Amino acid sequence: MINAGRIWDTWGVTALLLLLLLCTPVIAPGFLDIENLQSVLRESAYVGIVAVGMTFAIASGAFDLSVGGQLALTSVVTLMAFNGGGTAAAVAAAITTGLLCGLVNAGLITQLRVPPFVATLGSLFVFRGIAYLLTQDGPKTLPYEQIEAPFAKIGSLDVAGLPVPFLIMVAVFGAGWVLLRRTAIGRRTLAYGSSPSAARFCGISDTTIRVFVFGLVGLTVGIAALTYITRVWTADGSAQDGFELKVIAAVVLGGTALKGGKGTLIGTFSAVFLVSVLNEVLVSRGVESAYQRIVLGCVLIVALTVDGLRTRFAAPGSFRRASRPTS
Amino acid sequence: MALLEVDGLTVEFPGIRALDAVCFDIRPGEVHALVGENGAGKSTLLKVLGGVHRPSSGEVRLAGAAYRPRRPADALAAGIAVIYQEFNLYPDLTVAENVFSGREPCSPVSRGIRYAEINRRTSELFAVLGVGIDPAATVGELTVSEQQLVEICKALSVDGRIIVMDEPTAALSADEVGQLLDVVRRLREEGRSVVYVSHRLDEVFALADRVTVLRDGRHVRTCDIAETDPDRLVRDMVGRDVESVFHRDEVRGGDVVLELTGVSAGRRLRDLSLVVRAGEVVGVGGIAGAGQPELSQLIFGALAADAGTMTLNGAPFSPRNPGDAMARGIGFLHEDRKAAGNLPDLSIRHNLTISVLHRVRGAITRLLAPARETEVFDDYRRRLDVKATGPDQLIGQLSGGNQQKVLLGRALAPGGRLLLLNEPTRGVDIGAKAEIHRLINQLTADGAAVLMVSSDLPELLGVSDRVYVMAGGEIVAHLTGDDRTEENVVACATTGRRVFSEELSTR
Repeated sequence: MINAGRIWDTWGVTALLLLLLLCTPVIAPGFLDIENLQSVLRESAYVGIVAVGMTFAIASGAFDLSVGGQLALTSVVTLMAFNGGGTAAAVAAAITTGLLCGLVNAGLITQLRVPPFVATLGSLFVFRGIAYLLTQDGPKTLPYEQIEAPFAKIGSLDVAGLPVPFLIMVAVFGAGWVLLRRTAIGRRTLAYGSSPSAARFCGISDTTIRVFVFGLVGLTVGIAALTYITRVWTADGSAQDGFELKVIAAVVLGGTALKGGKGTLIGTFSAVFLVSVLNEVLVSRGVESAYQRIVLGCVLIVALTVDGLRTRFAAPGSFRRASRPTS
Repeated sequence: MALLEVDGLTVEFPGIRALDAVCFDIRPGEVHALVGENGAGKSTLLKVLGGVHRPSSGEVRLAGAAYRPRRPADALAAGIAVIYQEFNLYPDLTVAENVFSGREPCSPVSRGIRYAEINRRTSELFAVLGVGIDPAATVGELTVSEQQLVEICKALSVDGRIIVMDEPTAALSADEVGQLLDVVRRLREEGRSVVYVSHRLDEVFALADRVTVLRDGRHVRTCDIAETDPDRLVRDMVGRDVESVFHRDEVRGGDVVLELTGVSAGRRLRDLSLVVRAGEVVGVGGIAGAGQPELSQLIFGALAADAGTMTLNGAPFSPRNPGDAMARGIGFLHEDRKAAGNLPDLSIRHNLTISVLHRVRGAITRLLAPARETEVFDDYRRRLDVKATGPDQLIGQLSGGNQQKVLLGRALAPGGRLLLLNEPTRGVDIGAKAEIHRLINQLTADGAAVLMVSSDLPELLGVSDRVYVMAGGEIVAHLTGDDRTEENVVACATTGRRVFSEELSTR
């Protein structure tokens, strides 16, 4: 059955992205230079990687507002580990710290029964606070002497012209797609997001879903931290302020329903690039950063408004749902 | 002369025509029943009257003048109060605040709400209805039937000339239904007109002056209730002959599948002992709130027992969560399809396979295999005769009966040796109801054991072989054979009488 609405849910943002790319030769000459494209791919990676985890969180009906704090803390700890024990220690530290942050959130939500929004809002401040504590005597940095270490190259190396961070991001998206569409836990996450009470009577444990989802977010933060610090070489408590909102914006723009139950990684993927391409175009046109923010905010609002209108007027089923008496 | 006339009313939604040139009328001071299968257009008609939908063509006249409500408030102002199945109540406000919401009388000086006045006026309205509900009580703490009365009171407070009720008894227990019917009769004595939508024909015949039948969006017939009978009405509704009350084949119980001995859970379930055998349908009845759904949830592992023992197929059984119970092959159907059954964002295929994801994995990759899911779905779709355009349709787009069949498929899929069915035909049209009853019969003939909780007395008595009656969290009756009568069930559920057939026969 062909359903225009559902095709738009998945591919709409991708279509917009292609449209924007087609326009770039005119509106932003020089955008399609190889080096510029590589830089866009590289810069998008850490938002994109965490957006995979966030897609699961939002599809399960929850936010993780703490990813900015998680990224700062993980980055700081990873740099400390690298300076102490080299590449292997750094990778292990990134993954472990990210996962631990996620499990702390899951613990708050499942054991102390704190709603996800509140739990992760709180842990955002706590994680950032710990990152500040660890960098009281100055930001942690990747020393210049280590420029030849394999770890330091993660952020700068290209394979066949494609930046490594982008390749990592593609791999994370691929793994995420399989996890969401082809595994029982992914299906259960969607079921839980669609109706937690019905999911319970399908034998789905809410603890399992929370631990899985928030652990996954933490894991993606760990991977993202690796691509992030090997790009910027320094981190402290203020690293990537407002990161959580960028990630959530990309996921929502991609078409994942805020109320849970629906998630599209293809949409998230395209939305991450829609935002970064748009940003790049604005930068190359010399638009001030204040205006860049305004434009991005408007794009998000327009996209969600159009989406709201569509679900209200598209399929007969959703028409009736939307027009239930509300007075 | 008619108070309200509906003339050639057509309502179209993108892709479907929900109402097709429907005509009918309402006279002053009558109870007019509106019946039809799910999807016949009753709800759409109600929403046109309530100002929610606007007709594509046709006209509605109220007391001779054109009636074109643009929003629900217009309908109220015109004296038409529609009480939907999902109440429009604020659970955190008091009864009186709800009744007068948006029209609170205010003190001219302070602009504060005059609570004494709204409480007094609410009490007066309840007195008219012959019920006693505290106007200062919080609505969220009332029972469903009391909330319904608050809705009716709200309709009275705007001096509604026409009160429209959509399936008002769907969630009520037997004695609450009786109370509601009395209230409707009082409304009629007051000279108000009531449009009464119900699937329950016994209520229609107990109450209505006239009846209108809709089928597939079209008007089939309007007549005085005396000119028709239940069989005729059912034929009008479904367009074919249907056995209105199911009687199952005689069965002989097999091995004991489930046994509870002295099981308790907090204050909700006390000292329950029961047995379910293979091939049997065991009914559980009682008034709402007596603990029937909790009993099924306890067996399914969704509610923890704190005393007593359970055995399943002879082995000790103490599920810690529904997953445990499903792994042992127990299927469960929740009584509230919307709130705890449907997964609204998932396709019907995924709604069905969610209970058996371990069975639809590929051999080598261990990943979910869409082809296998479709196989499993098609299998149940055939067996249950689900009417849908395809496996990817969303469950909310199906009619109530077909939604229920998908959820039944979900319950059957884990193995189906023991099925816990709560209200298997609630909110389901008559055709689908008969199909579901036949299916239950078929399943038990194949050796499954069924524990069925039902508040629909004909169903409870017609479909089950034995009936347990619960009251206040206890089992107060066990009825077999000729003791299975409506009188026995109602008496045990409401009066504290205890009847145990095995004790009667040994005497």
